[in-house]
Amino acid sequence: MMDRRQALKKTGLWAGAAMATPSFLSLLQSCKNESRLEWQPVFLIEQEARTISTMVDMLLPRTETPGALDVKVDIFLDTVFAKAYDKEAQENVRAEITAFNDDCKKTYGDVFHQLSETDRIEVLKTSEKTSGTFNKGVWGVAVGEQQPVGFYRSLKSMAIWAYCTSEEIGKNVLNYDPIPQEYDGCVPLSEVGNRWTF
Amino acid sequence: MANFNIDAKKDMTYDAIVIGSGISGGWAAKELCEKGLKTLVLERGRIVEHVTDYPTMHMDPWDTELRGGLTPEQKKKHYKAIRSGWIGTDTEHFWADDEANPYTEVKPFLWLRGHQMGGRSLLWGKQTYRWSDLDFEANAKDGHGVDWPIRYKDIEPWYTYVEKFAGISGAPLGLPQLPDSHFLPPMELNCVEKHVKNKIEKSFPGRHMIIGRVAHLTEPLNGRGKCQYRNRCNRGCPYGAYFSSNAVTLPAANATGNLTIRPNSIVQAIIYDDAKGKATGVRIIDAESNEALEYTAKVIFCNASALSTTQILLNSKSKRFENGFGNDSGELGHNLMDHTYRVGALGKVEGFDDKYYKGRRPNGIYIPRYWNINDETKSDTFLRGFGYQGGGGRGGNPANSEDFGAHFKDSMLKPGPWEFFITGFAECLPYHENKVSLNTDVLDKWGQPTLAIDAEFKANEMALNKQIQEDAVEMLEKAGLSNVQGFDNEHEMGNGVHEMGTARMGKDPKTSVLNAFNQVHAAKNVFVTDGACMTSSSCVNPSLTYMAITARAANHAVSELKKLNL
Repeated sequence: MMDRRQALKKTGLWAGAAMATPSFLSLLQSCKNESRLEWQPVFLIEQEARTISTMVDMLLPRTETPGALDVKVDIFLDTVFAKAYDKEAQENVRAEITAFNDDCKKTYGDVFHQLSETDRIEVLKTSEKTSGTFNKGVWGVAVGEQQPVGFYRSLKSMAIWAYCTSEEIGKNVLNYDPIPQEYDGCVPLSEVGNRWTF
Repeated sequence: MANFNIDAKKDMTYDAIVIGSGISGGWAAKELCEKGLKTLVLERGRIVEHVTDYPTMHMDPWDTELRGGLTPEQKKKHYKAIRSGWIGTDTEHFWADDEANPYTEVKPFLWLRGHQMGGRSLLWGKQTYRWSDLDFEANAKDGHGVDWPIRYKDIEPWYTYVEKFAGISGAPLGLPQLPDSHFLPPMELNCVEKHVKNKIEKSFPGRHMIIGRVAHLTEPLNGRGKCQYRNRCNRGCPYGAYFSSNAVTLPAANATGNLTIRPNSIVQAIIYDDAKGKATGVRIIDAESNEALEYTAKVIFCNASALSTTQILLNSKSKRFENGFGNDSGELGHNLMDHTYRVGALGKVEGFDDKYYKGRRPNGIYIPRYWNINDETKSDTFLRGFGYQGGGGRGGNPANSEDFGAHFKDSMLKPGPWEFFITGFAECLPYHENKVSLNTDVLDKWGQPTLAIDAEFKANEMALNKQIQEDAVEMLEKAGLSNVQGFDNEHEMGNGVHEMGTARMGKDPKTSVLNAFNQVHAAKNVFVTDGACMTSSSCVNPSLTYMAITARAANHAVSELKKLNL
């Protein structure tokens, strides 16, 4: 419990500057969209990186808790593409981002990160509807035959993973308990709050 | 942690040689050393010292660059084992190199290996159950395979013996088909598991759901600490809370002063002396220098893991044994078994949204076998039976939610829905045609012949799987779960990681490789006490039985040595 209170306090301080209205936040975002990237991608080219950054920011925006960009989800995903993907997988993800942006151009007239926020929300809403979903899993393996989920769902899943496994979220937002010592099979959720850190 | 004596250069002669240092090899080493035999353990991989060689044991996800993800090079190195879904950055160093150690899948077969001191005892599931006479009498009763040369009463004292040293947590149930062990206190079921248990036991008399019986300490034992509920076991446990050779048996063997363990020692063959009519030692290749060496001993224990032991025996050819060591019966390499796996059901449990749990329990539930245990439970469609493992927890996959943005992010940080699943483990019959053979067309990194594995589940296992799924769906529906979904992930053998058979025990040298004390019928100073010795497969996890069989065989070996019978 004490850990959690400390965590909340720390997060509050950390995110203090971001306690702003949504419109102010989106103003910030749209400004940033027109600026150059503030980090140097290893695998992605600038346009791809800006698509990914914009997307993970919309999926997991800054609220009272840090957003995806605050914990460098985009930078981490670039590292994953660069270091965990083989050539074929790298070509695939590149083709998927291109196809995603081609669709955006066709329907809305520009690549994803250049669209208005309203259009971008429409794109994500449509993607939610047209993407497949992950099968349930048992011990880390999907049950039944897993159909391809498509670029959007797979990126969303990776963004969630990257977010939750970041040190900031793992230690200060989720419930960090690396050495629980005991197992209690039934505690009130109110005593815990957020999920346990992985 | 005491340093191990790895200097096998000054002495090429020992009382005993143990091939392999995994679950059964560790026990063989401990028992032989404690009974006064100068013992050489030959390990094909590197030394892994308890605690000091567990580099990832305290790592959080953000401590590694790819947070558990593997590089293309690592994926290539483990291109077969990766199919299991078990390998991540945190455990990659405990899995064998598939490229250096190839095997051929005549039919799809996943062979998961751990080539280091401690072997797969670092990676195993820790589920520990006694077998019963339902298992030891099964072959005799339905005519499949050959009869076991032992019964429960022969092994019972040895179960007791190994349990008291290994430390098994669990609760007694008094079931004849799943005899109780000597238990440390059981781990706890969570609230949803308790709820499902009550519902299932009420609706299905004769079926029981218990917390898994596991080789995790719930109380300190012999200087080892109790489980801290981190569930980071496969990286090596800093507390020594789960049973591994590294934390438990090898330090005990080392404490006697009788142990030498030689790493990087690939056993090529067992040497048979025609004049003496027995084995005199083993021939090894040093994995690093490629040097060929011979070690001699009075007794040899084969504990390389089922298929590796059989590979060594098949490769040990002599005038006396032209078709492999001790293979007068022609059964060496045959009757390969595993358990079927990943068939069952899952669903959602409503009504516990205000409940959660604390700690990451490295254990789940177990439902002991309830089919074909007496006349009333006899099936018309299959022989033998199955048990279930499973468990409940708050999960869900937030990526599937049709939501994104601020509200989504906040909700995703909260625990997901309660889910519960069970997955069956079914017994596999011993089929002569399920086999491994030496493949001289594909050589390993050291120029040695490899294994071709030609095995599959057949009609009886498929019928068991069908029942597993039907029963699982029925039980979860009766227990009031919603969205109940049955599943049968058809998979190849090997996924259960319970390879058994290929050098079976039996009463008759004409139809088996080993006798009732695990001695090769025709060379009694060679013992096989890993999974290769198994005559049938039960539906119950086998490791505890390997431990008991090994301790029993080691006791016999020393007693026979004293009588000058070996």
